[in-house]
Amino acid sequence: MSIFEAALAASLVISAFLALHLDETTYSIISFGAALTLLSAIFFYVNATFAAVFQIVVAVGAIAVFFLAGEMLTPKRKIQGRRSIIIGLLIAFLLSLPPILSELNAEVFSRSYNLAFPSALWKFRGLDVIAQSIVILTLALGIVMVLRREGRR
Amino acid sequence: MEYIVLSLVLLGIGIYGLVMKRNLLKVLMSIEIIAAAASMNFAVFGSVAGDSLGQVFFILALSVDTAMTAIVIALVLIAYREYGVLDIWDLSKLKKS
Repeated sequence: MSIFEAALAASLVISAFLALHLDETTYSIISFGAALTLLSAIFFYVNATFAAVFQIVVAVGAIAVFFLAGEMLTPKRKIQGRRSIIIGLLIAFLLSLPPILSELNAEVFSRSYNLAFPSALWKFRGLDVIAQSIVILTLALGIVMVLRREGRR
Repeated sequence: MEYIVLSLVLLGIGIYGLVMKRNLLKVLMSIEIIAAAASMNFAVFGSVAGDSLGQVFFILALSVDTAMTAIVIALVLIAYREYGVLDIWDLSKLKKS
């Protein structure tokens, strides 16, 4: 078992749990961003380079949006007790044990298609890419329309 | 194939957030974690299998997930402007009144 791989998995689990457990919005968003970045590191580790790059780009965007939304919308609250934080850390550590103990490894399948990324994207899923771009454009237009209508009101 | 264990743990954490947290932003983070847990399998298993099709599926799933996040954040903003609350329980109380 690679220690580095296990450390990545454990850190991912801990940061994901803390992102939901911590009451302070800023810390929670930082932890969430760390989780997404660690997921990207795992993708790099298993040689899924394109997925890792896309994941880290999305992570940066998500962190920025969550920071803005969190700071705008969340009122200041009382400080979370140290006991609660310690209990959260303990639970997160316990949750990170199964991926470590189950020995993460990336075995190679016996059958391999040896598809390059561009050919896999455009030859096999070209229609999906085009259709998805239309869907995303429609979603963006819908969001702009909804927010403009709210702004007028 | 022990990445399934990691995926399951992340899925459990996401479900914990969905069930236990009342803040809309936390609920959105939970959904993101669940989506990351699911789509991680595409990239990892595709990479392990030796072709890039898994990464392609991952990128398609990730872009839909990002678009969904944008929609939910817009809805959260509207809910906050309209009612001044970010609490799911408070929003459900507004529905009854």
